[in-house]
Amino acid sequence: MAGSDQVNLIESKTVVPLNTWVLISNFKLAYNLLRRPDGTFNRHLAEFLDRKVPANANPVNGVFSFDVIMDRQTNLLSRVYRPAYAGDPPSFTDLQKPVDGEVAPVIVFFHGGSFVHSSANSAIYDTLCRRLVGLCGSVVVSVNYRRAPENRYPCAYDDGWTALNWVNSRSWLKSKKDSKVHIFLAGDSSGGNIAHNVAVRAVESGIDVLGNILLNPMFGGTERTESETRLDGKYFVTVRDRDWYWRAFLPEGEDREHPACSPFGPRSTSLEGLSFPKSLVVVAGLDLIQDWQLKYADGLKKAGQEVKLLYLEQATIGFYLLPNNNHFHTVMEEIAAFVNAECQ
Amino acid sequence: MKREHSHRETSAVKTGSSSMTANKEEAGGFDELLVVLGYKVRSSDMADVANKLEQLEMVLDDGISHLSDDTVHYNPSDLSGWVDTLLSDLNPTCDQVKPDQDSEYELSAIPGSAAYPRGKRTRTGSDSPTTTRSMVVLDSQETGVRLVHALLACAEAVQQNNLKLADVLVKHVGLLASSQAGAMRKVATYFAEGLARRIYRIYPRDDVGLSSFSDTLQIHFYESCPYLKFAHFTANQAILEAFATAEKVHVIDLGLNQGLQWPALIQALALRPGGPPDFRLTGIGSSLTGQSVQEVGWKLGQLANVVGVNFEFKSIVLNSLSDLKPEMLEIRTGSESVAVNSVFELHRLLAHPGSIDNILLTIKSIKPDIITVVEQEANHNGAVFLDRFTESLHYYSSLFDSLEGPPSQDRVMSELYLGRQILNLVACEGEDRVERHETLVQWRNRFSMGGFKPVNIGSYAYKQASMLLALYAGADGYKVEENEGCLLLGWQTRPLIATSAWRFNRVE
Repeated sequence: MAGSDQVNLIESKTVVPLNTWVLISNFKLAYNLLRRPDGTFNRHLAEFLDRKVPANANPVNGVFSFDVIMDRQTNLLSRVYRPAYAGDPPSFTDLQKPVDGEVAPVIVFFHGGSFVHSSANSAIYDTLCRRLVGLCGSVVVSVNYRRAPENRYPCAYDDGWTALNWVNSRSWLKSKKDSKVHIFLAGDSSGGNIAHNVAVRAVESGIDVLGNILLNPMFGGTERTESETRLDGKYFVTVRDRDWYWRAFLPEGEDREHPACSPFGPRSTSLEGLSFPKSLVVVAGLDLIQDWQLKYADGLKKAGQEVKLLYLEQATIGFYLLPNNNHFHTVMEEIAAFVNAECQ
Repeated sequence: MKREHSHRETSAVKTGSSSMTANKEEAGGFDELLVVLGYKVRSSDMADVANKLEQLEMVLDDGISHLSDDTVHYNPSDLSGWVDTLLSDLNPTCDQVKPDQDSEYELSAIPGSAAYPRGKRTRTGSDSPTTTRSMVVLDSQETGVRLVHALLACAEAVQQNNLKLADVLVKHVGLLASSQAGAMRKVATYFAEGLARRIYRIYPRDDVGLSSFSDTLQIHFYESCPYLKFAHFTANQAILEAFATAEKVHVIDLGLNQGLQWPALIQALALRPGGPPDFRLTGIGSSLTGQSVQEVGWKLGQLANVVGVNFEFKSIVLNSLSDLKPEMLEIRTGSESVAVNSVFELHRLLAHPGSIDNILLTIKSIKPDIITVVEQEANHNGAVFLDRFTESLHYYSSLFDSLEGPPSQDRVMSELYLGRQILNLVACEGEDRVERHETLVQWRNRFSMGGFKPVNIGSYAYKQASMLLALYAGADGYKVEENEGCLLLGWQTRPLIATSAWRFNRVE
């Protein structure tokens, strides 16, 4: 269907700046190379191609970072980002200096990559997390969770849970107001899915999550929705590649009705009456899985949970990776407001 | 250390009306926004790269993963080069020998053409404006933090020449260290000893190579952890690629030591499709080495004989690499391909002003087809003692952490091997301080400014190196990383050694 593909390519080029188009098309091409039809994944090549950056305890643009090992057994690493201190760059003993202020929000961030790609130290996510620090004035902890297909459900959720507990138990992250850590969960794509599931686990546990920020969260289901049919292949993403990633993440033999994929589907448990955190759900109007994301937001509402839906009509996936479009700035402002509402 | 102004990112919140802001360009012509994300694409090339991506998408559908298995990729940061590689792979114009993907852990010859970056001269010096201080918190215990704090306080006292205070603090460190466990305790002990020696002026002798003890330590280090193996492996891979079609090859090893690097190369050359080349090795040793350079050469000759490779060996013994003259190498210009290999040797020359320039000049004059360089990935050569101390404390903490595991003689010896580096770094000064490690960025600058051109190390070497690491216990922690044509080996997210390759054989 060369003709319509040509139309598709031209379409996607008109809605994003050229450098964004090159960036996301490069990922698309690379990812196509890495996924094998038999469900295996070329991890070596993936790691070779991924552009990574080191942590940097010297502040850059007012933000410094360092890596921590949260769990030696699973080798769970995370990257901590903090606003720079006034004066000299932090020495080793300063890295874990107590946070400033009566209320100091901490964002636990889960990077995207459809459960398979990227790491906490991928350049795209290091950059995004640094922006979040600058924006919200908060500490950001980016979790390097285990990825599929080598590590299927529930590994990523378990790692998210470990990270939440780790963050919650750091004395240096406690807000002065109530001697507790003020935690927000955030993530894009699969990271958004992980944030939701970690929040669910937190509900019964006594760990307070103050809010969830879900950027183009990855959800799905067995039926083909209208948006999937309409937008298949048009803006960098295909239904076929979505299917591949669910097959890679979900337990073998499971289908997309599994609650990890479909949290408000036929096999889900109700959130009604539970003290689930308020959610900010961002949906891109050119993302083919938007019907599932809208269904998610709707599901939260029906369960009596607080949710703010931000629908960006002309946005594609990955719009938040480069600050060269309006959607980027809109979303960043919304996130800042969402997190800082807590500080009043 | 430079003070950083802390300011909020002012570009983050814009209220402009245009939906597509103009792309800012930096001096080198690269798209600034993509540079931050790890990709170097000239703004002037953007449309061309986009077109090529479109071309690739049009001819390929989802089922292109077989391409990834056959193609060797180089320097993904150079997006333009990368898409060109993929396009040419669809349309092979020359006989490309593909690596045998089934032969694991074997070095095999791959044609070198794709390894050489495009002719366009890239601007150097476009490094990040601030230096990077890579930090991994491995030990979050209270005692670990207090111990580091005490070490740094002591180092600061030394820096300020407050030796009375330093004396008190170094004893305090000793006490704290004794209640610590694991890697942190060992590291702290060595750094404390270094500080003590500096305070009391009981300097360690530069007895590297003075006895066979030093050789022994290095062998244990080689056995117990993957760092030297990675260094040898990646360097050999680059050499093999450069020698793919040569009939006579000449390797000059700037620091032969035990010759541990060469058996694998000799074997790989023996298995080269089309038969082995004549292999000539020039091994350079210090006049202080334990085992004689000649003996090492002789043993290698025996191996070469067994596997059927014509082997010639020459030994050169010098007080310093700086004394190396081109005529000593007896290059057979026109009839042999030349490789110069340096594993953890070059940084020592930074202790004598002018020495590094001498050796680089000598190397240039023999116009090698490839120069392989492996160095520690750290800046332990800053002007300020306290900065060096802090940097190296974190570096060796990661290194020692990676060695942790069930006790063994190999491990104990490895720790001693590294401990001697720490002592030199901390206690010595001037010409005696030879452990003057510098980062890949620093070495890149030096080589670029010297007129050397980079040779990219590709995905095949990367994959083989990664697989090699999987053989080690605690493999989870070791990570290979690709950085603009170079490979780095690190522990957790901290890169510890870097392999780069260069050439200086053509007039540009």
